[in-house]
Amino acid sequence: MKCPLCGREAPADLCPYHLAAKGRVEAAYPQWVKAYGRMEWKEYLDNVKRNVQTGQWAKEIAEFLQGG
Amino acid sequence: MPSLEFGRKATGTGYTLVICEKPDAARRVSDALSGGAPRSEIVDGTTVFRFTRRGEEFVVCSAQGHVYGVSDPTEERSVYPVFDIEWYPSDLVDEESANAARRIAAVRKLAAGAARFVNACDFDVEGETIGFNLLRYACGGREGSALRAKFSTLTREDLVRAFDELKPQMGQGLARAGRARHAIDFVWGVNLSRALSQSPLGSGHRYRTVSIGRVQGPTLGFLVQREREIREFVPLPYWKVAGVFDKDGRRFNADYSKQKIEEKALAEKVREGCLGKDAEAAAVKRSLAQVGPPVPFNIGDLQKEAYRAFGYNPSRTLQVAERLYLGALISYPRTGSQKLPPSIDYRGILQGIGKAPEYSTLVGELLKSEPKPVQGAKSDPAHPAIHPTGERPKRPLDSSESALLDLVTRRFLAAFGPTARREFVEVILVVGEHEFKLGGGRTVFPGWMKHYGRYASYRDVELPVISEGDRFRVVDVLVDQKFEQKPTRYNQSTLLEKMEKEGIGTKATRADIIATLVGRGYVAGESMEVTDLGLSVVETMLKYAPSIVGTGLTREIEEKLEAVEGGAEGEAALLRETVRSIANQLAHLSANEEAVGKELDSALMATVAKSSVLGRCPVCKAGELRVIRSKKTKKRFVGCSNYATGCRASAPLPQKGTVKTTSKPCERCSWPVVYITGGGRPWRLCVNPGCPGKGKR
Repeated sequence: MKCPLCGREAPADLCPYHLAAKGRVEAAYPQWVKAYGRMEWKEYLDNVKRNVQTGQWAKEIAEFLQGG
Repeated sequence: MPSLEFGRKATGTGYTLVICEKPDAARRVSDALSGGAPRSEIVDGTTVFRFTRRGEEFVVCSAQGHVYGVSDPTEERSVYPVFDIEWYPSDLVDEESANAARRIAAVRKLAAGAARFVNACDFDVEGETIGFNLLRYACGGREGSALRAKFSTLTREDLVRAFDELKPQMGQGLARAGRARHAIDFVWGVNLSRALSQSPLGSGHRYRTVSIGRVQGPTLGFLVQREREIREFVPLPYWKVAGVFDKDGRRFNADYSKQKIEEKALAEKVREGCLGKDAEAAAVKRSLAQVGPPVPFNIGDLQKEAYRAFGYNPSRTLQVAERLYLGALISYPRTGSQKLPPSIDYRGILQGIGKAPEYSTLVGELLKSEPKPVQGAKSDPAHPAIHPTGERPKRPLDSSESALLDLVTRRFLAAFGPTARREFVEVILVVGEHEFKLGGGRTVFPGWMKHYGRYASYRDVELPVISEGDRFRVVDVLVDQKFEQKPTRYNQSTLLEKMEKEGIGTKATRADIIATLVGRGYVAGESMEVTDLGLSVVETMLKYAPSIVGTGLTREIEEKLEAVEGGAEGEAALLRETVRSIANQLAHLSANEEAVGKELDSALMATVAKSSVLGRCPVCKAGELRVIRSKKTKKRFVGCSNYATGCRASAPLPQKGTVKTTSKPCERCSWPVVYITGGGRPWRLCVNPGCPGKGKR
C-alpha cells in the first residue's frame, strides 16, 4: 500500500512519517483547546495548516484530515 | 642517543633522506636547515631539495597527502563482501591520485642512495601513516629505524630545534592506529556501499552509488532525527506579557515574570489586573560578573568560531588554516589541544605580532607584565592549541586567509588579556500580585574583549537608574500571542559540535564527512535539509542494519583506536571484530536485498527529480525551471517544465562544476539563483542571461 500523501510504502493507511505526524497533530489538539478556551477540530486543523512553524508532514496531515 | 648521530659527520656512505608530508613543508624544512640555500632538482617529475648541514648531506622530498591507500585485490568492483585487503599506491585505487606514482617513484629512487631516514610528516595520525607507508613500501622497510622530526610550526626556529632533537620512532601507535582506521573504514565503507548500491539492481532498477561510511552513517542519523522532529512539529500557542512603565516621563518596557503563559485567558487576566495601577520597584539587584578570556583554539573551536564570525563551513576553515600553517603563519591546525605551553615562547610570538600596526598597541599592553595565557581543559599530546607564529606573511594573503589569521591572532591575544567585568541590574516591579522584570547589563572593564575585538559579542543594554521603593505608572500591558518555534536544522558548525560531543570521527576527518553527506545528495543546500534519499538510507538501515546508523559501534571503535594511538596493542583484533560485525550486518541486508532496493530506488528517483528543480518559472509562472541535459549535445541548460505547452523560458548553464539550488530567487529578475561548486570557490549565479543585475556586482 502507498501513502496517499507522499507515495512511500505504507504498512497501514499512512507511511510511518505521516503516521507519526498524525499522532503529533492529534496530541496537540487538547493543548490548543486549553490555550484558547475552546476551538473546533476543523478550526484547529486550519490553524495548524497555516502556521509557519508547523512542520511539512504535520501540515500535510492537517490538510488531509480536513478533507476527510 | 639517536639524535646525537645527526650531530656527527656521516661515517657511512649516503645521505639523510627527509620525508615531508607536502611540497610546501619540504621547501620550508630545506630553507630552515640549509640556512636558506638548498639546491632544488627534479626527480621523477617531483621537486626535491639537496643541501649540506654540519657536514652532512640532506635530501628532502615529499608526499602529497596519502600516496598509499587500502583496496581489495579483486578487479571486480561490484562484489561483496570484501575482507581481503591490502595497501596499494593511491593512483591504483583512486583516479584522483595520479601524482602518487611519481611521488613514490621519486622516494624509491632517493631511498636507494640514503644511509639514514627522517620522517618529517605532520605529527598526527594521518601524518604518521603517510610517513610510515612511504618508509615501509618505498624505502625498503625503514619504518622502524627512521628517526622522527616533531614540530608544531614551520618556522625556522621550530624546524631547526626539531632536527636538533630527532627522536626514534617509538611504538608507532599513531601510525598503527592510522593504518587500522584506514582498513576499518575501507572494509566498512566498501561492503555496505556496494550492498546498498547493488540492491536497486537486484530489484530490477537503476544503479547509483549509495555510500554509507562508518562515521557518515551515525552523522546522517543525527540529521534525519532532527529532520523528522522538524517535519512532524506542531507548534503550541503561548502568550507573552510585557508592561510599559513610566517614571518621571521616562518609559521602560519590562517582561512579565513568567516568560510563557500557556492560556490566553490567564494572559488577559494579568493585563486586566495591572492596567490603571501603579508599580513599585520592590527589589533592585546589582551584580558584577567576572568574564574570563575564551580558551585557545583547538580545530573544532576554530571551525565553530569561523562559522559564527565569517560563515565559513568547517572544511573551508580547515583548508584555509592548512594554507596558513604551510605559510608558517600559524601552528599546526589539526589539534585537539586548548593549551598554550610556555615552550612556544609567548613573548617572542607577541613581539612578532606587535610588529603589525593593527596589533602593536594591544601587544604593548600585554607585554607590560609577564604574559600568561588562560588554558582550556582539552589537551593533545602531539601539538599545542592553534596559535599565530608571529611571522609576517611572505606573500599577499587572500581575504579568507587574512580573516582567519586575524581571528587566530586576536584569540591568541585575548588568551593573555585580563578578565573582563560586566555589571548587571535586575529590577523587580510589583503591580498587585503580579511581578515584572527589568534587566540591563554593560561592560565596565573590557579586559580581553578589547584584544578579541569584533569577535567578542557582548551587547550592552543601558541600565536604568532605579532605587527600591520608586513608583511607576503602568502605561500599558501588552499581550502578545506567540507559537513555539520548530527545532532548527543543524548547520555545518553545529553538526560538527554534535559529532564531537558524541565522540564520532576525528578532528581531521569530521569536516570531510559533512562535505561527503552533501556530495552524496543526502542533504541539500546551506540549510542541510535531509533529502528523500538521506531519509530513506537511514530508515532502511534502521530496519535492516541498525548499528550502522547508531553511534554505539562507531564510538566503541573510536575509543579502541584512541587506545592504539596511545600505544596499546590490539589493532588486529579490532579489525577482526569489525569484520565480524560488518559480515553480520551484510547478511541482514543481503537477505532483504529486494526490499532494500525498492525503498532506495524510489527515494533516489525523488531526490534526483527534486535536485534538478531550480524554482518557479518567472515567464509562464506555472511551470518549474529545471536543469536539463540535452540528448543531442549532452550539454546542460535550464528549461521550463511547461515546454510542451508552449513556455520557451531557457538559459545556458556553466558546463563545469555542480549546480546547487538556492531557495531565494534573484531580487532583480525573479529567476532562480544557483551556486556553482567544484574546481574553485563556490559562486552564485542568476541563471537569467538577461538579468539587469549582471555585470553590476
